[in-house]
Amino acid sequence: MSRIQNLIPSFTRKSAERDNSEPTLRPWYEVKETPEAWGLTVYLPGVSKEGLELAAEEGAVTIRGRRGWKFPAGWTALYRESVDAPYELVLSHDNSIDVEKIHAELKDGLLRVSLPKADAVKPRKIAVN
Amino acid sequence: MRSIIHYTPRSSSLLPSFGFAVRSPWAGLESEIDRWFESTLSDVVTPAIDQRFPVDLYEDKEHTYVRAELPGVNREEINVEMINGYLTINATRKAKGPEGEESFALRRSIAIPEDVHADKVGATYENGVLTVTLPKKEEVKPRKITVEVK
Repeated sequence: MSRIQNLIPSFTRKSAERDNSEPTLRPWYEVKETPEAWGLTVYLPGVSKEGLELAAEEGAVTIRGRRGWKFPAGWTALYRESVDAPYELVLSHDNSIDVEKIHAELKDGLLRVSLPKADAVKPRKIAVN
Repeated sequence: MRSIIHYTPRSSSLLPSFGFAVRSPWAGLESEIDRWFESTLSDVVTPAIDQRFPVDLYEDKEHTYVRAELPGVNREEINVEMINGYLTINATRKAKGPEGEESFALRRSIAIPEDVHADKVGATYENGVLTVTLPKKEEVKPRKITVEVK
């Protein structure tokens, strides 16, 4: 099992380092791979560009989103399925991403991030003499 | 493109964790098992066609409001209908899959508690959240009938 984990660069999450100051939600996300890059799709309904923070540092990509919508004063909630907490997603990578070339786009609550692979990790053909 | 990780929040994980008081003692084990399954099964299991999306129901004096979380859906493809006291929301989400465009249908019907002026219903879609505004019909006021007893 661990051999498979090592061959595929692992987008694992940091466990147990919980920041207990504010409860956060983990959003729905999906990671897809092409030979050149990883594509990350995150669903962040209610988050606009102003509420979104995307950072890549220390081998981890952190996405935080705050919803812009506030509960209007006169409204009574009859039934709620969504939660008001901000979204947080931390994905650690083992430096297999070229952070300079990360490209992200947020539209209608859908965030698409393209994470180009660092050259060391791209599949390379090796010529055999 | 190969899908490596596909994460769908389960309803239990939507609850913000406030610390040990609310988290079940198995939560740590459960999330480890989830992670293990994700990494092994992600190649085998096709991305779930998530038909369900969270909705909230609110009201104030004049209106009933329904908010639905539908990120990544095209405005033109959202269909909202009001039939017999039920509000039905239909939406299609298109995604570029390995075989080309994949389309997921999302659909949900919600019972609206009060009578509604069906022709004055409005909806807006912003940042992936659809808000439907339904103006309430005024209650028919009971009329006082005096009966003469002979």
